[in-house]
Amino acid sequence: MLNVSNLRVSYGAIEVIHGIDLQVNQGECVALIGANGAGKSSTLKAICGLVPATAGTIEFEGQDITNQSGHSIVKAGITMCPEGRQVFPQMTTLQNLRMGAYPRKDAEQAADVEEMMDMFPILRDRAHQAAGTLSGGEQEMLAIGRALMARPKLCIFDEPSLGLAPKIVAEVGETIARVKEMGKTILLVEQNSAMALRLADRAYLFEAGEIVLSGTGAELQSHPDVAKAYLGH
Amino acid sequence: MVEVLQQIINGIAIGGVYVLIALGLTTVFGILGIAHFAHGSVSMFGGYLTFFFVTSWGIPLLLAILIALLVGLVLGVLIELLAYRPVRDANHINAFIVALGLTMMVEGINLELFGHEQVVIPTDFSRVFNIGGVTIPELRLYVILAAALLIAAMTVFVERTKTGQAIRAVAENRDAAILMGVNVKTIPLVVFAISTALGVCAGVMVGSLFAIAPGIGEGLVVKGFAVLILGGLGSIPGAVVGGLVLGITEALAAGFISSAYKDVIAFVVMISVLLFRPQGLMGKA
Ligand SMILES: Nc1ncnc2c1ncn2[C@@H]1O[C@H](COP(=O)(O)OP(=O)(O)O)[C@@H](O)[C@H]1O
Ligand SMILES: [Mg+2]
Repeated sequence: MLNVSNLRVSYGAIEVIHGIDLQVNQGECVALIGANGAGKSSTLKAICGLVPATAGTIEFEGQDITNQSGHSIVKAGITMCPEGRQVFPQMTTLQNLRMGAYPRKDAEQAADVEEMMDMFPILRDRAHQAAGTLSGGEQEMLAIGRALMARPKLCIFDEPSLGLAPKIVAEVGETIARVKEMGKTILLVEQNSAMALRLADRAYLFEAGEIVLSGTGAELQSHPDVAKAYLGH
Repeated sequence: MVEVLQQIINGIAIGGVYVLIALGLTTVFGILGIAHFAHGSVSMFGGYLTFFFVTSWGIPLLLAILIALLVGLVLGVLIELLAYRPVRDANHINAFIVALGLTMMVEGINLELFGHEQVVIPTDFSRVFNIGGVTIPELRLYVILAAALLIAAMTVFVERTKTGQAIRAVAENRDAAILMGVNVKTIPLVVFAISTALGVCAGVMVGSLFAIAPGIGEGLVVKGFAVLILGGLGSIPGAVVGGLVLGITEALAAGFISSAYKDVIAFVVMISVLLFRPQGLMGKA
């Protein structure tokens, strides 16, 4: 479904992604793991059109989307739930959810808002509250709900559990599992590698802008290097 | 008491003009971070144009305003595309210089096309209403109603339409807005078109209530920025409250102290408000 080949990304003169290849197949949950600064977010941003690719190609459903504008990539069916949640702080929860459906023109948007509020009941309680006043966990649920409002084919999550209390982290994990059950294809970046590898069908390990290891979630979980460096045992 | 009410009515009329100017400035500032100084002069161009249509071509007033509005929409698009877009990703000082240059250019164009004499847009709204001793000239009433209608329309547009919400979204978080599928290249065009059209309305109001002359636009844009700071940068409710507060204070100052001091007093109010609420009346702390 998503096919990234030989992708390179630079900020100014400094290259941070040095030609990586990765694939995400229809219905899969693929995790990217690796230390802080390894280049996971930069890869996701290049896929979403937020930063330019200096080389390589990104194909989605057979269509070349390399360096397309961000909004046309959303139209193609890719939505990202960005690092740090990035809700619109002064807009209400409801307005944030509706923003998620921005490109849609169908009549089911209101029904989808209801569905998101059924999925995350806390959002219903907070419907008319400015999103910036929500707690970190609530904002994460909002960001996930907002991303789903686009009815994406591929849903990208960048560090959804970052900075959240352990109990909320577990909730985020369950939520992503539910999104997977909904039949969405998922590309997941997580610092919490244990959680990511449990959720993932396949995973790639990033190190300093390169992919150094790939395999099924279970394979990486039991790989000695991964276990030592990223799972803490 | 009647005298106070009288001045408040006068203040609401001029405050309405300030609000319309400030709404344009605040939405432009919100999404692009640009202090669009040329806004006042462009608004006055709209007023001049209406005057020209009415006096030289004999076009009926409302039709003339409508045409000037359409010209305003197009002008807004051109300003964004030709003046500000090229410096979009450059250092902020570049946009600042473009704004100053554009101001001088538009002032020059106004002077070339319409001369240095002050002009008043002729209207035949000459009735005067008297409500409990407070006199309201017909024209002033229409200006207040039109301003209220435009402010309401703008609020509905921003809060109830997808494009309006996208404008807010870009102002609050540009990258997140892109991830929602917002085309961040077209949104500034929409913002400039609408802002300029609102400015044209303000220009017509100034031109019919008072007069348009060289320099008026620049004075107005300074007031517009005062309103933004008073109300809270980037906030639409802030622009409305700030504009009315400034207009009413000025009118009271002019009525009870001296019209020579009205600008001074307006700025004293602004500074006093900022001493206690540095974020402005409606701004988020
Ligand atoms: N906007 C930016 N400008 C310059 N360098 C950046 C920027 N964003 C990220 N980087 C650098 O790119 C590298 C990869 O960062 P990132 O993709 O955020 O990693 P990760 O998401 O894996 O933590 C890091 O060295 C980081 O410092
Ligand atoms: Mg990251």
